[in-house]
Amino acid sequence: MSSIKQIPVVEAKRTNPLARVFDDLVRFCRSRSLFILHYCTGCGAIELPPAMTSRFDMERLGIQPMVSPRQADILLITGYVSIKTLKRVILTYEQMGSPKYVIGICSCTVNGGMYWQSYATAKKLDEYMPVDLYIAGCMPRPEAVIEGLQQLMDRIHAGEANSWEDYYRNYDYYLGNQQKLFGEDWQTPTDVISEAKHYDLLSNGTLGDHTRLLEQHQKPLEALEMRLGHEQKEPAK
Amino acid sequence: MRPENYEAQRQPPSNEFELNFGPNHPGIEGNYALKVKLHGDVVLEAQADGGYLHRGFEKLMEQRLWIQNIALVPRICVPDPSPMELCYSMAVEQLCGLHVPQRANWIRVMQLELSRIAAHLFTFGGHAATTGMYSTMYWGVADRDLVLDLFEEFTGGRVYSIYNIPGGVRRELPSGFLQRVSETLDYIESRLPDYDNLFFKNQVFVKRAKDVGVMTQEQALAWGVTGPNLRATGLAFDVRRDDPYLIYDQLEFEIPTEESGDAWARTLVRRHELMESIRIVRQVVEALPDIHGPIRAPIPNPLAWNVPAGETYTRVESSKGELCYYVVSDGGPKPYRVHVRGPSSMHAVQVLEKLSVGSRIEDIAQTMFSLDACPPEVDR
Repeated sequence: MSSIKQIPVVEAKRTNPLARVFDDLVRFCRSRSLFILHYCTGCGAIELPPAMTSRFDMERLGIQPMVSPRQADILLITGYVSIKTLKRVILTYEQMGSPKYVIGICSCTVNGGMYWQSYATAKKLDEYMPVDLYIAGCMPRPEAVIEGLQQLMDRIHAGEANSWEDYYRNYDYYLGNQQKLFGEDWQTPTDVISEAKHYDLLSNGTLGDHTRLLEQHQKPLEALEMRLGHEQKEPAK
Repeated sequence: MRPENYEAQRQPPSNEFELNFGPNHPGIEGNYALKVKLHGDVVLEAQADGGYLHRGFEKLMEQRLWIQNIALVPRICVPDPSPMELCYSMAVEQLCGLHVPQRANWIRVMQLELSRIAAHLFTFGGHAATTGMYSTMYWGVADRDLVLDLFEEFTGGRVYSIYNIPGGVRRELPSGFLQRVSETLDYIESRLPDYDNLFFKNQVFVKRAKDVGVMTQEQALAWGVTGPNLRATGLAFDVRRDDPYLIYDQLEFEIPTEESGDAWARTLVRRHELMESIRIVRQVVEALPDIHGPIRAPIPNPLAWNVPAGETYTRVESSKGELCYYVVSDGGPKPYRVHVRGPSSMHAVQVLEKLSVGSRIEDIAQTMFSLDACPPEVDR
């Protein structure tokens, strides 16, 4: 357990000028090899095959589809998210390794779009997870998708695409919205608070009323045996 | 992936597993899931798990004006949106007793058949990808884009055209457009022998797809299967010929069928249909310059349009199968009730569940793509 904690986080060490050069190199390389996990949550998924294949060819930018969330960098939400899908989207997001980026494609992820009055869809994606970039349109053309990805690449290189840190810093807010939608007993197998401690991202917004509620309702699950920080919590009981 | 059931299941000491196939899975079409029970590699039981794409269309349509729904309906089926617009428009026309001008009908047929070509090319790509032949996917998607360029030129939208409205079509064709349609058709037709060599006659595909997901004609009729999937079992039923709408009774085309009813037959029927669609569009391109007149019947102010009370049922042949709309009006500015009978809800739920049993797990994706199920239309 403790051996995991000692893995240095590159961005945290900014005192050494050499480390700064190294950081820049890391960010450059990161922005040039992105794996997309596209979760076909809605209509927008239909414009991704043209963007990925021969005609518009995303691969020339170093962007490729990836099937497993564990190895993916970008979570592409392609369109409206129904409440049933949103649960899976959050689970997928929490499974991805940091740094991770979220792109919301189509108007539906921005404000509900065409389905603003629907009873079955979640209207604003950024209430439930931090979003790096929105690509508006119903649906955006492949050129727009590629333009958006290029902007994300620039922002990763500049070190501005840090929304994944926001999830740890304001976990209480996101969890509160999730609980409002899914009910109070909502929980995921990922221990976000321990991960926040691991990344040194614990802040005022991480813990709050909603995380306390989560701890009350949290059931001991076998899948949670492997979570970070589990052994440290044991003696407290 | 599934918050409700991640309590680790205590498996009996056997080879039986229960797996969740989807919703975020490269082998499944769209956002859809199956719960599969396996013995080794063989599927013992499959249970469809939809609802990931549910938006409540039928309820939304009751809350919007008749004309606003035109923008809503194509979203029901994303790969093949044009028949959705047309079927709804036809229902409103029947309720109002609108007479659609002849030229609009011909343009509509052209739009429908181009949409069918695009949808079939997309399906070939998807089906090929499930058998590991990604070149066909790259080709299919790139050739489909040529058809989408045509759509963009004459309707303004690449995927959702929103071109049919009750009473006719929205815009006149651009000048020189028919010439460009024939050029694109020539190109796609010249590509078909390449597709044959790469995909349809490829032994990798033929051996994988033959005898996978076999259904007999009796089963297909009992399960409500329509469209190319029904024609792959040997029954030549096509709404375009057997209950003609628009001007299909004035056109010459054949209904291709296959006998074996497996994944290979279903894909082959689509390949022949592609040829027939090209033939239909050619006839339209030839006839359209001689058909003059308006493209739209006069309709009342669309923002204050009270459609007369009544109910109607319309059906068209989409690329996935028979698509029907049941529309009820109470004389108000909004529909009282709209029911969509989509072909995919039968294909992706009951048919897929039954056809998967006994096959191997790697063939589930192929069965689903060969049925050409469209998950947004299943959930609506």
